[in-house]
Amino acid sequence: MSLADKDRIFTNLYGFQDWGLKAAQARGDWDDTKSLIARGQDSIIEEIKASGLRGRGGAGFPTGLKWSFMPKESKDGRPSFLVINADESEPGSCKDREIIRHDPHKLIEGALCAGFAMRARAAYIYIRGEFIREAETLQAAIDEAYDAGLIGKNASGSGYDFDVFMHRGAGAYICGEETAMIESLEGKKGQPRLKPPFPAGAGLYGCPTTVNNVESIAVVPTILRRGASWFSGFGRENNAGTKLFQISGHVEKPCVVEEAMSIPFRELIEKHCGGIRGGWDNLLAVIPGGSSVPLVPAEQIMDAPMDFDGLKELGSGLGTAGVIVMDKSTDVVRAISRISYFYKHESCGQCTPCREGTGWMWRVMERLRTGDAAIEEIDMLHQVTKQVEGHTICALGDAAAWPIQGLIRHFRPELERRIEEHNAKFAEAAE
Amino acid sequence: MKFLAKIFTWWDGATIGTLLHSWRHGEHVGTDAQGNRYYRSRRKSADGRERRWVIYEGANDASRVPSEWHGWLHGAFDDVPESHLPPARIWEADFTPNATGTQGAYLPQGALQRGGRRAAATGDYEAWSPDS
Amino acid sequence: MPKVTVDGQEIEVPDGATVLQACELAGKEIPRFCYHERLSIAGNCRMCLVEVKPGPPKPQASCALPATEGQEIRTDSQMVKTAREGVMEFLLINHPLDCPICDQGGECDLQDQAVAYGRGGSRYHENKRAVTEKYMGPLIKTIMTRCIHCTRCVRFSEEVAGVDEIGALYRGEDMQITTYLEQAAQHELSANVIDLCPVGALTSRPYAFEARPWELKKTLSIDVSDAVGANIRLDSRGREVMRALPRINDDVNEEWLSDKGRYMVDGLTRRRLDKVWIRKRGKLQQATWEEAFKAIARAKPGKSIAAIAGDLVDCETMFAARKLLGAMGSGLLEGRQTGMDYPADNLAAMAFNSTFAGIETADAILIVGSQVRHEAALVNVRLRKAARRGAKVFVVGPQWETTYPAEFLGEDVSVLGNLPAEVAEVFDKAERPAVIVGAGGLAAGAFEPALALAQGWSREGWNGFNVLHTAAARMGGLMLGYAQKGGMAEVAKAEPKVVLALGADEVDWSAFDKSLKVYIGHHGDKGAHAADIILPGATYAEKDGTYVNTEGRVQFAEKAVFAPGDAREDWTILRALADALGVEVGFDSFAELQSAMIAEVPALGVEGLADLGPLPKAAKGGKGKGGTISYPVADFYLTNPIARASAVMQRCSAELARGEEILEAAE
Repeated sequence: MSLADKDRIFTNLYGFQDWGLKAAQARGDWDDTKSLIARGQDSIIEEIKASGLRGRGGAGFPTGLKWSFMPKESKDGRPSFLVINADESEPGSCKDREIIRHDPHKLIEGALCAGFAMRARAAYIYIRGEFIREAETLQAAIDEAYDAGLIGKNASGSGYDFDVFMHRGAGAYICGEETAMIESLEGKKGQPRLKPPFPAGAGLYGCPTTVNNVESIAVVPTILRRGASWFSGFGRENNAGTKLFQISGHVEKPCVVEEAMSIPFRELIEKHCGGIRGGWDNLLAVIPGGSSVPLVPAEQIMDAPMDFDGLKELGSGLGTAGVIVMDKSTDVVRAISRISYFYKHESCGQCTPCREGTGWMWRVMERLRTGDAAIEEIDMLHQVTKQVEGHTICALGDAAAWPIQGLIRHFRPELERRIEEHNAKFAEAAE
Repeated sequence: MKFLAKIFTWWDGATIGTLLHSWRHGEHVGTDAQGNRYYRSRRKSADGRERRWVIYEGANDASRVPSEWHGWLHGAFDDVPESHLPPARIWEADFTPNATGTQGAYLPQGALQRGGRRAAATGDYEAWSPDS
Repeated sequence: MPKVTVDGQEIEVPDGATVLQACELAGKEIPRFCYHERLSIAGNCRMCLVEVKPGPPKPQASCALPATEGQEIRTDSQMVKTAREGVMEFLLINHPLDCPICDQGGECDLQDQAVAYGRGGSRYHENKRAVTEKYMGPLIKTIMTRCIHCTRCVRFSEEVAGVDEIGALYRGEDMQITTYLEQAAQHELSANVIDLCPVGALTSRPYAFEARPWELKKTLSIDVSDAVGANIRLDSRGREVMRALPRINDDVNEEWLSDKGRYMVDGLTRRRLDKVWIRKRGKLQQATWEEAFKAIARAKPGKSIAAIAGDLVDCETMFAARKLLGAMGSGLLEGRQTGMDYPADNLAAMAFNSTFAGIETADAILIVGSQVRHEAALVNVRLRKAARRGAKVFVVGPQWETTYPAEFLGEDVSVLGNLPAEVAEVFDKAERPAVIVGAGGLAAGAFEPALALAQGWSREGWNGFNVLHTAAARMGGLMLGYAQKGGMAEVAKAEPKVVLALGADEVDWSAFDKSLKVYIGHHGDKGAHAADIILPGATYAEKDGTYVNTEGRVQFAEKAVFAPGDAREDWTILRALADALGVEVGFDSFAELQSAMIAEVPALGVEGLADLGPLPKAAKGGKGKGGTISYPVADFYLTNPIARASAVMQRCSAELARGEEILEAAE
């Protein structure tokens, strides 16, 4: 029961057709957007709420609910803004890039619909600095849309004024955090803000702001066209819709694919990726949602449904659905150590536990990798991750802690084996 | 005069009693560069040990015993230093007695007597004068 | 007024309070590093974590969390304890263990809190991080390895000082606090970051390795470097003042202190007058007190005696001199050394009536002839606060770099007579319009037109007319009658036989060629070089005294150390001089002097704002003669004899004010 081609939202995901406006319109984008907008703000938000769309950026917060936090009217003349998070830097994720490359008009149309629904004056698309060609494509698409009168003054003839701006980041992972993104857009050092106040109250330039992931926005027009019930027909309860899965690692054919939510892991791999390299017995572990969720060992993941709740039960998370598959040739400790290094490198340095803790965790991980440690240090490392987790301003501290916690939870014997092996080697040398 | 000094003072060389003792029981072993004379007892004492002593040429200052004779004097070796020790190397400095309390005493860098300046202390102040 | 429960104790907290403030109200100590009452909330040290219900099941940063009705706050639970221990461990893993050689030792927040909230040992066995030193100028010494990135210094320079001098570079572990391109911090309040720094990363360069806090005697005093009268604490060891630190006084200096007030104290031990000098055949020669007194008596001044007060003298000295002159039958008292002659019969017209705390609430401010940053750096902080609240600021006078948006209306006073319509409109509409007349404005004759403007904009319950003096002694001097109609010119015209210069160093002495100039003061400066007889006196640190700041606030300073050498407290010199001149002054002790002074000027007996009466009516047609304004302070760091004697201030002047390159000695 996998997703039929007619139910795919991203019909040009692989770039087989042109990304330009004409081709996009042929695919159904910008089709009578005016009537979508004519439904009115509340009706759009209700539709999205009914569709059960949850944020595709990792946290899985219900999108419709998030929009409803935006003020219904501006009491003090402050405009509202929509910020679209295209700062896709999570190791293992590559969905937003594909959308912007090949289907930018879905995103722009979605920006208009979503921006209208939350009464935003403009949308800022914060695109990752390394996405150079993608930024060019996106800017060209925005220009096309302006020229065609689809956005700008009287967007799509709806009588609503809406601007879309693209802003290029400078290559910091932390700028994918919503408040850090807002800071960066304002021209400051990309450091997360304290919450409260939440962006819906005071965000970009102190105005009400909603930050949404590219995918969350890009699916909006299709949901509006085909109806909430169509969208919520996929996946389990509370995990509705279709989702772009990005499978990388030790599968025969790594790919980005749109699938229904809650598809079992085995089916996802068999159907789209040609199976695990070396067969299912060769599967060691899977990181199911980009680098910041804990890994899941093979026996637990194989038949698990790939959705928010199903993976949460396994002590992990769907995250961005950047599935990293590792077979038994993987040095799993080294893999996690590398992820630790990534977080150490990308910590913004604002708050203490993350600034100091990520470096500490990475250094201990490096020693655990070679076994140059004591058994007690595994417990100490676990405690350190607990000291970081939940004590920081943003979620980067959690994201740095979870992979290590997952490793210790599932691969402690491997860590101990390395330490013992290392000790034995040196005990021999000492004799 | 020298004779009188020998009788009434004790700070230069040996007293008469010591000289007498050295003449009766001592055997002159050697003399160092400064003229200090080294003796050892002819007979061993009750515990089988040999006594060794020095009669200074000039002031009775223990630091005037040069290091080679110091070894002999303390029983580190039995031969006289000339035959026991290797000859002095050219880079070895001449032996100098302890100069503490004399004009030649060592003064560290910054010592006030060497023209060093006292470090500023709490309560110091610089007075104004009209010429400044 | 939400009600919250802190550790089972129910309390009511004011609206808008944070959880941290609620805990403090309940008497619970919350450890913190980044949080500071006078700065914005950063919430990045994570030391103030507490458990709050309702809320997520993790500890919350109490400094940033608003207290709301029905919150249940726990500061003593296991979760809080482990959270604090964890954060403290993180802070310490990369902090060097160099407390024994750290200048912050003994007054270090990290040290104290590590003892109170930290674990006993360290589990960190990797290498510690080291950070290169950053140059922050002649006042601030940096050891950035110790930095815990609380960003208090960054927020101070951005929010309070109003200059973007300090910021953070890089990210994560490599984050470093530095000045822009490692230039020296140039703001005149820059050294306050030393007090703010909770660790030893920013310490005082002149005070480096000088003393430990516990060996210092702390004396409450008043800063005399400007007319703000900042409350300070003089820390002295033996006979030397080691440093000056600000005290908290929300009405005056909040908790800041200008760099000059803080660092001119090393001038207290340099260029000191410590003996009596008498000019004989054109040359000053050492003498004894008797010789000096005889020489003065020989001049037989009679009525022909004048007293000129300097900028740093206390009220008691001025009063003692006034008594002496009164006994001689003279009233030639003057304190405005540079020759200003504004009318001084109404004291209210001479004071900063809005008060410093009040000027923050002004919504339109006209500054006439004052370079506020240099003349009263702490008042500039208030003006910046007002501007941040939305006040519009206009300046009459030459351009200077304000730390807030301000519009310059030209250098000529005559603009006051015909303000541009849009400016006048702002003030007409303002609820709390204020006029600030500085020394430059007073000298250029802006007093009358400014007073007229202020009265045109008078509002119920708001006094918007302010005079910003530059000398600590000025307001007290005016209260004690140290002002002649006509100013210094009048004194010179009287050709007094004897002039008593009470630390007067800014006077043009060429007008007093025929007088016997007796200099009673503490530093060998311009006054001493011009004097015929020098009697060594005491500085503000070496005597008790009353000072009145430009608001008319009476404040009392205490004696921290003894004057050096033969120097005496000034009032004793005047008392002995009275004997030499054969007159009675009516006091034999400091207490008698003070009570005599209070009897004559009762306002000086009460600490706090003096009641100066109502403002006078502005003279009709006070349109202003017109005159170009020039600011009196040429060099912020060298405005008084103590600062001019101070090596630190001289270096600041060379490097910061004049921009000379100073090569680091021995580095």
